[in-house]
Amino acid sequence: MKRYILSLTAFCCCLTLLAQQKDVTFSGSIQSDILIPESDKAIGAEKKEDLLTNTYADLQMQSQYIDAGARLEYLEHPLPGFENDFKGWGVPNFWVKGKLDKAELTLGTFYEQFGSGFILRTYEERSLGIDNSLLGGRLTVKPLKGVTLKLLSGKQRCYWEWNNSLVSGADAEIALDEWIGSLEKNGTRLTLGGSWVNKYEKDEEIIVPSNIAYRYNLPKFVNACDVRANLNKGPWSILMEYAQKTQDPSLDNAFNYDNGHIAMLSGSYSEKGLSILLQAKRSENMSFRSKRNMMGTSSFINHLPAFTLDHTYALAALYPYATQLAAGEWAYQTEMGYNFKRKTALGGRYGMNVKLNYSYVRSIQSAWLKWGGQTYYQDLNVQLSRKFTKVFKLNLMYMNQRYNQTVIEGHGDMIHSNIFVADGKYQFSPQTILRAEAQYLTTKQDEGDWAFGLLELSLVPHWMITVSDMWNCGETDTHYYQGLITYNTGAHRIQAGYGRTSAGYNCSGGVCRYVPATKGFSISYNYNF
Amino acid sequence: MKKIFPRLFLFALLPMFIACDHINEDEQLIEVETAIPGPEAAPDEKPTATARTVRTVLLEDFTGQRCVNCPKGTKIIEQLQDTYEDRFIAVGIYWEPKPITNGLANELGTEYYNHWELNYQPVGLINRGGAVNYTDWAKEVREGLGFLSEIKMELKATLKGDNIEIIVREESYANYSGKLQVWVIEDGIIATQLMPDAPDENPEWTGGSKADYVHNHVLRAAVNGPWGEDFSIAMDEQKTQTMTQAVDAKWNTDNLSVVAFVYNDDGVEQAVKSKVEKK
Repeated sequence: MKRYILSLTAFCCCLTLLAQQKDVTFSGSIQSDILIPESDKAIGAEKKEDLLTNTYADLQMQSQYIDAGARLEYLEHPLPGFENDFKGWGVPNFWVKGKLDKAELTLGTFYEQFGSGFILRTYEERSLGIDNSLLGGRLTVKPLKGVTLKLLSGKQRCYWEWNNSLVSGADAEIALDEWIGSLEKNGTRLTLGGSWVNKYEKDEEIIVPSNIAYRYNLPKFVNACDVRANLNKGPWSILMEYAQKTQDPSLDNAFNYDNGHIAMLSGSYSEKGLSILLQAKRSENMSFRSKRNMMGTSSFINHLPAFTLDHTYALAALYPYATQLAAGEWAYQTEMGYNFKRKTALGGRYGMNVKLNYSYVRSIQSAWLKWGGQTYYQDLNVQLSRKFTKVFKLNLMYMNQRYNQTVIEGHGDMIHSNIFVADGKYQFSPQTILRAEAQYLTTKQDEGDWAFGLLELSLVPHWMITVSDMWNCGETDTHYYQGLITYNTGAHRIQAGYGRTSAGYNCSGGVCRYVPATKGFSISYNYNF
Repeated sequence: MKKIFPRLFLFALLPMFIACDHINEDEQLIEVETAIPGPEAAPDEKPTATARTVRTVLLEDFTGQRCVNCPKGTKIIEQLQDTYEDRFIAVGIYWEPKPITNGLANELGTEYYNHWELNYQPVGLINRGGAVNYTDWAKEVREGLGFLSEIKMELKATLKGDNIEIIVREESYANYSGKLQVWVIEDGIIATQLMPDAPDENPEWTGGSKADYVHNHVLRAAVNGPWGEDFSIAMDEQKTQTMTQAVDAKWNTDNLSVVAFVYNDDGVEQAVKSKVEKK
């Protein structure tokens, strides 16, 4: 606590100095989500408190040589589904950045990512309750043309404390095309990168579950390195990346002493009207936390990007995939987008867009190129988007999904589902737009079939009224109805609603949080300045 | 000034290249002391104002049939029971995010899970001192056994017809105020259990549950309410309580035991367990 107060005091001193400078600009935002919960036995919603809120206020100041910022978080009565340690309030994020010609020095809390995040990614994702920022220092230097070097060290945030371990790292990235004239002439961009992360964590007594007469001999230092190359020429792009981690026995990997590995190859082609993406990734034992005896979503130093689509349609997002960091996985993804031109047989008067996406995730074996015996996830989806008249546009989607609930959620079976979505938008006038969604999910497993309907009336520029119902017609016959009114004016947005939400997983980028069923009045306010 | 940052940068890189650990396979485990630490009072020592008795450690094991890592926690409990015998009592409190038909979870487990604001399973309360990960149970139990107690308890449970007659006796070495809690637990229940994944040990593991898993020390009922009854005792005083618990048709009377403990805001002061005897 003493360190926390000292840090805040130092931060306030810096702000005072900063405020005395000329040409200082201020920016910030407020986000407040409130739920007045009600109990509802039909869906298993429980009212434990009268009012729940997750509220954040960000303030940043910029000047020629110094930037600074801080964030106030009020999470004393958080929305349902967050871990209990998430409760609290205070100013856990505060930073000052000094800027010179080719160097930047940040002191305080900061977010950083090396490459694709295989060995270091600190970020904030409020919907999942994730903030794994580092408290310490970061130096960024651009000593030569096309060269960026980063060096950092700090302690990682774990809810309302900072973990005792120390995370340090360095990253170098070189844009070779800025050095080699022939590459630049050909319009070829080649970037090479390399990173190193070191975690120092004190020894502790963790007993071997299978024999309590022994404890683990734990490594105090864990090192991870990453190398990558990114080549772009015209519409083509290739990214290759490999990372490795030394022995890191932890609760996640059941105190396994094997090294961790991850390799990724991603290629894409993109030109007007056509885009193709092909990706493959193999990861093994890559869960990397700043606290080895930690469960839940906190204290991750790294992040492995998901090779599955984050769906926005309610039923398509009902069974989202969570990356298997410790167990490892083979993951593949391909995506193709094509625009049928206007005034063609398939394109019609206004053209048509087709998107095909396929993701497949499977277990691994110790032999590198061999698959394991289980399918974790599969998603094949086709989306058509076509404007039929000046005022009517229709999106259609079909999705075939296999979801290994046993591996992802720890219970259940392989869920095989087919999902159908129709999403139409009709413009009555430039100010009045009506959007309607109809969705159906059919499966023989879990809770069986689901149906979803939505109507959304936009009265531009201020109002939006939405009503929806998600109905489990397969097993429970439960309706999850919801009504929302949104008002926008300038930089303010306020939304009020009432209804039920079903229990399920909220995922972003392969990281998931279980959210219990809720019912009640909700208010959401956002302001940016 | 402009040259300082790059130099600092290179200098700060140096420690990273020398900080590396590698632990060989034959060095990955270290033997630990399992003997009970600290002073021990003789169990039969006559109560006086200065003498205290040994303390039994109570582990409330928050577990679930759909919890993949819970069998790992159970494995630790079995070893603790073998090592510390009647100085260690475990009670399995079942909770499921979604109810299982004919499952072992009940409303009592849900009430405890919510009350203690637990986030995951397996997790344990050791003498009600806060949530402890299963990997720390052995260490915390050993430490807990090193403390002495102000209260000595005895328990007798007898099956009489369709009821269990329970007699609890307490003898105190100091003034104490708190609650007395009495539970019924059952061993040897055969029911499904999701088993842990271990891809490194068994890459062909297909996942799923074990239908004939044996569940032990399963919490069945709270005899005197979920939070027990008020209990206070003066120094050198002796108290006796008699209670009755109706036997549920689902219970196997051959495998029932009763656990009684006294606790307050400082945690569990003493616990005792007795098998339900048939007359």
